[in-house]
Amino acid sequence: MVTKKALLFDSTMCIGCGACYGACKEKNHLSVTAGNFLQDDLSVETYTVVNRRQHQYIRRLCMHCEEPTCVSVCPVGALVKTEAGPVLYEESKCMGCRYCMQACPFTVPQFEWKNPVSPRISKCNLCHDRIEAGLATACAAVCPTGATKFGSRDELVAEARDRIRKNPEKYYEHIFGLKEVGGTSVLMLAAVPLEQLGYPTGLLKQPLPPLTREVLHKLPGVVGIGGVLMCGVWWITNRRNQVQRAAREEKLRAQTGAESNEGSTKDA
Amino acid sequence: MRKINLPKITFWRLVLVAILLAGAYAAWIRFTQGLIVTNLSDRSPWGLWIGFSVLCVIALAAGGFTISAVVHVLNLENFKPVVRSTILTAFLGYSLYVVGLLVELGRPYNVWHPIVMWNLHSVMFEIGMCAMFYTTVLMFEFSPMLFERLKWQKALKTIKAITTPLVFIGVLLSTMHQSSLGTLFLIVPGKLHPLWYTPRLPVLFFVSAVALGLAMTIFESYLSMRVFRRGLHFELLTKLGQAVAVVLILYFILKIGDLYFRGVLASAFEASYEGRIFLAEIVLGILAPVSMLLIPRLRKNQLGLFIAALMVVLGVFLNRMNVGITGLDRSSGVNYFPSFVELAITAAIIAAGFLLFGLAVKYLQVFPREEMDLVAGGQRSTLPALDAWSQPAWSATTLALVVGIIFTAATLALSYDGVRRRVPNVPTPDGGPVDIQNALTHLKQFENIPITMGKSSPGQVIFNHTRHLNANNPDCAQCHPGLFRLLPTTADVTPEKKMRQCGTCHDGVKAVGIMRKDRCDSCHRKS
Repeated sequence: MVTKKALLFDSTMCIGCGACYGACKEKNHLSVTAGNFLQDDLSVETYTVVNRRQHQYIRRLCMHCEEPTCVSVCPVGALVKTEAGPVLYEESKCMGCRYCMQACPFTVPQFEWKNPVSPRISKCNLCHDRIEAGLATACAAVCPTGATKFGSRDELVAEARDRIRKNPEKYYEHIFGLKEVGGTSVLMLAAVPLEQLGYPTGLLKQPLPPLTREVLHKLPGVVGIGGVLMCGVWWITNRRNQVQRAAREEKLRAQTGAESNEGSTKDA
Repeated sequence: MRKINLPKITFWRLVLVAILLAGAYAAWIRFTQGLIVTNLSDRSPWGLWIGFSVLCVIALAAGGFTISAVVHVLNLENFKPVVRSTILTAFLGYSLYVVGLLVELGRPYNVWHPIVMWNLHSVMFEIGMCAMFYTTVLMFEFSPMLFERLKWQKALKTIKAITTPLVFIGVLLSTMHQSSLGTLFLIVPGKLHPLWYTPRLPVLFFVSAVALGLAMTIFESYLSMRVFRRGLHFELLTKLGQAVAVVLILYFILKIGDLYFRGVLASAFEASYEGRIFLAEIVLGILAPVSMLLIPRLRKNQLGLFIAALMVVLGVFLNRMNVGITGLDRSSGVNYFPSFVELAITAAIIAAGFLLFGLAVKYLQVFPREEMDLVAGGQRSTLPALDAWSQPAWSATTLALVVGIIFTAATLALSYDGVRRRVPNVPTPDGGPVDIQNALTHLKQFENIPITMGKSSPGQVIFNHTRHLNANNPDCAQCHPGLFRLLPTTADVTPEKKMRQCGTCHDGVKAVGIMRKDRCDSCHRKS
């Protein structure tokens, strides 16, 4: 059993230096996308950003949900959740339907719009190769203040609770990502609710995939019952038509029979 | 001398050719430059192509399974003349949907992947499979029209023998498919506006698709009657009109009931963009046509019936666009409007639909023979309703266009007040200063880094990271990762290159220059 890894981002400790942004670009060989990194947005060449919102610095990156929506919606299984936490994308399977982008509650997956031949989806992969090698993610490894911390999810949750308990005046009392959409592998702490820092409002506290999965699971039943019902109705209506037709023919025969009978009596 | 039969050039034929050419040009741009030519973006990854080419076109096809079910399952024989035109519409709809999908997918050549790479949890997977199977079923259901024309009696007989099981499979697949298009949006609870997001979306999609399918039959039968003098008995169309009204009333009750029980009915009357366009959908797409269909005098009048049917079609289209585009607008934070390429390809798909339907009506036996002969023979017949068909062909198409424009204009007018008040839900980044004093207390003390010495080095350089840092406002991005790597991954650069890197700042202006022969010792320490 692999321990579940996670990142803890503490907005109150972030100095907006951009080391995580730079390290991510370096690690994933991504090109330069903005003059000022604080004004950059997620894109096919940018897996994480640091933005200034409401007098705080806030990071955006793939949250690596515990039960990822993108993984459940991908028709070809091009996205997978690994045991250690990272949600990974397999380019060769993808058909570019972009349902993962539409479905992601954090609008994280980005698309390579400019590629006419083989556009890919891109997003943070939680440095899965580094994790396998026993290293921290690039962003956590270079963070000079420890605002982004890498570790086992359980320990980080405990630490986040601890930080809030020790400095209740410093934090808004909520660990973002603990329960949101069923929990994520990226946890966040801040002085204000994350919704004020550009994160989506009204996120459900339970995983999203069951919303469609439950409907899909009803389908075999609906199809079965529907099929049987249809056969039943068809049998009844078909039988009714047959009976009606037979009755009509009977009547016709009776009529013609009567006529011929009349004729025969005349002859006699 | 043999006379070559060229098609006559008419206004609408020219329009058709122009639209198709524009579509072909747009498709060329799309496939050479990529999806960047659309107005889609990372925040609104789905647009007109999903909204129209998938949601609307599939819904259009619903007449196919509805009428087949009525005729083959309920065995109501008097609707039999309608079957073929609805099957044709469904078949064309699904074929055009496949074309639309190939344009919309980022990697269209991988469209077959769901066949071998299954994800049973994905609605999109189920939709793909249903689409594939149902298109095949429709092909079989459509084939008799072709076989008749080709006089392939044996094939015709084979198909006729398996019609009933085919219809059964078709009805089941189609039911799944229509409702699944609604299920598709169940995954975006936070994004889709509550006026449209409901757990009942699959049911609502199914019921409205049935209404649309039936209305479409009326619409296309009227048009073919005008253009080709071929169509359905008017009395049959009136009956279909009644059926549309019944289904729409059911849909209306479901829709309003759902809004009421979720407690969001009030937001329909809010002065918001969504509220207005929702009202347009309900009033223009349901209430108006239903009232028209319930008035016998209007229902039994060709024009009245035709306009009502067209309004139903446009109303369901508007609903699909609202679910697929408008309802997601606010949460995405961008105001999406399709680009020329998107519009041109969509228009070409619609035009291709008209063209193929027209060709099929002309060359295949889509509508029953008796009535075709009746009208084509110039017999003014005993049916008074047929008199109106004799007017010039263009008037019907123009009328359809006029109704469409009025419908769109009315929708815009109704939603106009809201347009101005539309505020995106996404906060804009603000440049306010951040108090980092507290965070700076956590700043790591950087160790001095000894730099690898070159052969001709005058002395060891020990890089003092802390001295190179503005302790009050560290900006890592100034030097990392552009100039210096952050992660020790590969072998370090040569000492000579390293010194040139120092020279980026140590140029004699910003800091002491590396070329100052007399100042080597400021960095290279003699041990």
